[in-house]
Amino acid sequence: MKGRGATENGSPGDGRIVTRGVARRFGDKLALAPASVEIGPGGITGLLGPNGSGKSTFMRVLTGLVAPDAGSARVDGVELAGDGTAIRRRATYSPGELHMYAEMRADEHLQWLLRGRGAGALARATELARELGLPMRKRVRGYSHGMKRQLLFAAALAPRVRVRILDEPTEGLDPSLRGRVLDLLREDAAAGTTILLSSHHLGEVDRACDRMIFMNEGRMIADESASAVTARAARLVRLEWPGGSDLERIERSLAMPGVKSVVRTGTRLSVLLQEPDARPFLAALTQLDRLPAPASIEHGKLSLHELYRDLYGVEGC
Amino acid sequence: MSREIRNYLARSLGFFVVLELMLVAAIIWWPSFAENVGALKRLAAPVPMLGDMLTSIEKIGVSAYVTAQHYFKGCNTLGAAAAVLLAMSAIAGEAHRGTLESWMARPVSRTRLLTERFVGGYLALALPIFLTSFTIPWLLTYVDERMPFSDLVRCAVHESLFLGSIYSITFLLSAMGSQPLRIAFVMLFFSIFQFAIYMVKEITHYSLFRLADIETFIEITTKNRLDWSQDAPLVATSVACYGVSLWAFRRRVP
Repeated sequence: MKGRGATENGSPGDGRIVTRGVARRFGDKLALAPASVEIGPGGITGLLGPNGSGKSTFMRVLTGLVAPDAGSARVDGVELAGDGTAIRRRATYSPGELHMYAEMRADEHLQWLLRGRGAGALARATELARELGLPMRKRVRGYSHGMKRQLLFAAALAPRVRVRILDEPTEGLDPSLRGRVLDLLREDAAAGTTILLSSHHLGEVDRACDRMIFMNEGRMIADESASAVTARAARLVRLEWPGGSDLERIERSLAMPGVKSVVRTGTRLSVLLQEPDARPFLAALTQLDRLPAPASIEHGKLSLHELYRDLYGVEGC
Repeated sequence: MSREIRNYLARSLGFFVVLELMLVAAIIWWPSFAENVGALKRLAAPVPMLGDMLTSIEKIGVSAYVTAQHYFKGCNTLGAAAAVLLAMSAIAGEAHRGTLESWMARPVSRTRLLTERFVGGYLALALPIFLTSFTIPWLLTYVDERMPFSDLVRCAVHESLFLGSIYSITFLLSAMGSQPLRIAFVMLFFSIFQFAIYMVKEITHYSLFRLADIETFIEITTKNRLDWSQDAPLVATSVACYGVSLWAFRRRVP
């Protein structure tokens, strides 16, 4: 969509997001534990986690909407200072909360959203919104949830910047539109833009992202490349036994060569193998004496949601 | 034209129209009022404050009548409501509607966002006071009366500063809150309470409306100058409220 270096800010930044121990607390609640991370330049990084895990707080801190209690952040070469206006000039941010001025027409709303952006941003946003099929003369009150989300997305994608921070950009979209939005993001990332997006839709994250940062209770608990996550998924075998089974005994029995770890959650045991080939493990499983037959066995095709639940014990994402 | 300017213009126009209609009615009624002021004083006897006002008007004439009708009655009552209505939603309205984050997420500094809102609302409040004041000399020609334009400008300045301080206090509450209706109720109750105690002679000196009553305006028109011992604190109130609003808004989490 836009070429590297052709930003509306004139001076070329480094296209990176760098934080050093950035943290935020709301009263007694730790919203964001000290987080140090480097993202970009380029690529799509997914920020994953259940509600209240700190994803939005992290994004708001990066854009200066929430002042950190500690640490520092730099976006596209600009240090986070004051109210973050300098960063917001160099990066677009699309909020996760979908509240708009119902009385405004879509074209007016785009203009409002793009205040302070460079010349041409409005024309590009309007063109993009039309491509997405949005009626520009219609009042926002007549827009569906998905249409509003697309309007925000058009405003976030139009400015020529090197960093985009998008809080749940595909929330509320149907699968075909979600695919279209992700295609546009991939195009943008291919042109050198660094994209940080959060999502609850785990299927899309592993499809679109090069890297995944998983958060829980304000902490970044995992930071892995998408390929590493896929490889880990291939090494994970999920076994479920009927209620009443002696899972402690079964868990002890599964500690066999080739098994890296076993995690028990309810009646389910998640076994992380040392190698992606599960056949030796499954063969060994059948040889175990007096072990009741598992109710189900899953391997290799676990969703990211299950993967993280099994690996990190995080529920609800 | 941006949405915000349109909104301010619409509200300002509404305030202007109502003020002007009241002013026109008051001026048309002046000859009849002047003839019947004695009877009106007898009617107002149970309320000594009203009686004092009528005595002043009887003594000074049309200029006291106009300031009482336009500034004390029209601007103070409608203006206090307008000040509250213009300021209550400035920031709290965005928070209440959920648009605060989008509003702040654009590459515009918070100082600028807040200043635009503050100044926009202040102007929307003050402009109708000035514009209606400017029509007074022309309206008075219909009842064969005159009033110096400069006196009206001074009265408008003082009234704007007075209402501006109500506006600024409401704006401060809006910068810190997220329930515009609650802010409006608090401020309107406060204004009505202040107006009520103004009417009670024994405690009238505790009322803030003493700062913009008929005596104040008579003093402005007779001395041909603003009383800065009154106006400076009004300016200081607005400046202080703006400063604290800015401080609060810079720390605000969307």
